[in-house]
Amino acid sequence: MRKSMLFVTLLLSLIIVLAGCTAAPAGQQPAAEQPAGEEAAAAGEPVTIDWWTVNSEEYSEEVQKAMVAEFEASHPNIKVNMTVLPESGFSDKMTTALGAGQGAPDVAFFWDNNWFPEALDLTPYIEADPNFDPSMYFEGFWNTRAVWQDKVVGLPLGVGAQFVMYNKDVFDEAGVAYPGADWTTEDFITMSTQLMDPDVKRWGGDRPRRPFRAIWFNYGAHPYSDDSMTVDGYLNGPESVAAYTWLWDLVQSGSTPTPADIEVLGTEGTGPVDLFLAGRLAMATLNQGHMLNAVKAGANFGVVPEPQVEGHERYVNAWSLTSSIWKGTEHPDEAWTFLSWWVGPEGQKFLMENGNLFPSIPSVLEQYKDADQEYAQAFFDVLKLKQVSEWRIAHPCDGAVARAAGDVWDKIMLGDIERDQIQSELDAVVPAAQEALDECRDRLGG
Amino acid sequence: MMAQQLDAPRAAGPKAPLLSSRARRWLGNGLAYLVMTALAFIVMIPLFWMLSTSLKARWEIFAWPPQWIPETLHWENYREAFTKYPMGRFMLNSAFLVVVNVIGELLAVPLIAYGFARLRFPGRNVLFVLMLATMMIPGHIKLIPLFAIYHRLNMIDTYWPLVLPAFFGNPFFIFLMVQYIKTLPRDLDEAARMDGAGTWTILYRIILPLCKPPLTIILVYTFWWTWNEFLHPLIYLNSFDKFPVQVGLAFFKGRYSVEWNLFMAATLVSILPILILYFFVQRQLIGGIASVGLKG
Repeated sequence: MRKSMLFVTLLLSLIIVLAGCTAAPAGQQPAAEQPAGEEAAAAGEPVTIDWWTVNSEEYSEEVQKAMVAEFEASHPNIKVNMTVLPESGFSDKMTTALGAGQGAPDVAFFWDNNWFPEALDLTPYIEADPNFDPSMYFEGFWNTRAVWQDKVVGLPLGVGAQFVMYNKDVFDEAGVAYPGADWTTEDFITMSTQLMDPDVKRWGGDRPRRPFRAIWFNYGAHPYSDDSMTVDGYLNGPESVAAYTWLWDLVQSGSTPTPADIEVLGTEGTGPVDLFLAGRLAMATLNQGHMLNAVKAGANFGVVPEPQVEGHERYVNAWSLTSSIWKGTEHPDEAWTFLSWWVGPEGQKFLMENGNLFPSIPSVLEQYKDADQEYAQAFFDVLKLKQVSEWRIAHPCDGAVARAAGDVWDKIMLGDIERDQIQSELDAVVPAAQEALDECRDRLGG
Repeated sequence: MMAQQLDAPRAAGPKAPLLSSRARRWLGNGLAYLVMTALAFIVMIPLFWMLSTSLKARWEIFAWPPQWIPETLHWENYREAFTKYPMGRFMLNSAFLVVVNVIGELLAVPLIAYGFARLRFPGRNVLFVLMLATMMIPGHIKLIPLFAIYHRLNMIDTYWPLVLPAFFGNPFFIFLMVQYIKTLPRDLDEAARMDGAGTWTILYRIILPLCKPPLTIILVYTFWWTWNEFLHPLIYLNSFDKFPVQVGLAFFKGRYSVEWNLFMAATLVSILPILILYFFVQRQLIGGIASVGLKG
């Protein structure tokens, strides 16, 4: 009898505990998980679309929730089931759902280029929508983040860019004049050396995090030819050698934190903003998110583009977040209605006014509340520069080639080679880089 | 000759020890305590740093020279961490997952392990090897197929994918328990059987009471793994209020910066359950680890 009672009690407690795992009531189920027939049967009722987003400094969970409420108020036939994910887990979840070919959201960020084949081509929707004009976006961001292989795979939400932030208090203390927008790479090294102070563990500036970004392009350097056929004469060409030599000079100045310092004292891959705010880094290559953190912290700072090289065109490393519709969606029309509202003028304006988004639509960006501030003006000027992404999107093998040439980068960072060895070291990696380029070109179908 | 050689050192007379045996014992113990305290202190440094960071203003965290004790203790960081995100809710969700997973493992593992260790049936060794082979498959490879299966079963955004596997037994725990049960004398089973006990009685009345060490390990490791699980809850859950604590902690890392002081405050509170569990079961856990030959 006692044993039976024990068994029954155990079974009951198990049932109670497992009941907690049960799915939400049907009304709370995401629409994508309900059978299609059920949807069809409920004709006339609002269509629910799934939207995966992240919680970030630019748009918090509360702000996005409020934005959805505003959208739903003006579109009573559409309900948005918002899933807010941590920034660091979004890619894993999206990759899993897209890889499984099921359970992916109707609308989401498609910030990884590898996801583009899974995005719905928006061209017919854009053509059919008289209220939507692609020319409202910054042209550079439209070209780099919306168009892929002659298809429109998404719309660009917000803008971001890298620039140099300098701590005015440290400059004043060291008696160094502030950099101007026309400063050069040589000025950067000179100032960095003047600003460093080992006694208080302060570095003058930071090092680039990888080659063939804005400064390399400012030197006119490219990892390979424009037709994606040849590495020799480009990776080891005079422009590239000049860029690597500048890096060598910067490293040897001893005024910058080493990669190990950044690894230990940096911020989880988000840039050395905390070192900058603590006054331990006089100049740092940061972005608009860091800039707003500095404003919030009351820091006394200025903003300039990454240093230029005289006689060459100037570039910026800038980005926008591609926001797309999954091609497996059962509600493409409703998904387009939401996407074009969210990433259109109304949604971006809402996120700008209630969050910290810098919109990718110039006419909306002009209405930014602190547009007259010095830092905002400097940031807007940076956005006018030519984008590194334009070249990178058209030359998707640049990462593979740069990796093949990684030895030279590492040796310079570690101080393992002399200045006059840079040319020969680059010459030595050309065969491996050419092989990487050929392999990549073949893999991508020429 | 030999006697002379042996006598020679004695001629000098035995040296009187500098310290009495009691003093030597005291000195030895004192040194041992000193070294162990120093080692414990070194091991505790990250925890001290976490506590210190959790009580700092953001600008103080990277200041030089580093401040171990902040000028002003910002206890409000704890309040802010718990109001910015529903950390209490996330911890309750984790606690629920821990309880169900522990129940699942404690129900399933002894049953399966007993079968492999004591019962004879055709294909037993093949099945055992197959089960062990599943341990060799990296978890990430199974992620997409499992997601597809759970999606077809309409279990996405429920806790089922996070608790169901426990009721089929973790291969590692099964292996551990099989090896342990094999060390128990079969005479016990046979004596019980002669007294009229059936298989269930032998398992629950004879074997399981002797299996406290492996059961403790299953309890602690399941608690630990479930509490610290990030990837699977992230993949299978969509609703914000269903996330467990590790997914909740990830919200403190933004795209452009980490709020280290709030993050440390939330993390420090989130590891308390594991610390408390360890204090309660450390004796059994260490005994268990020693008896099943498991080293982490």
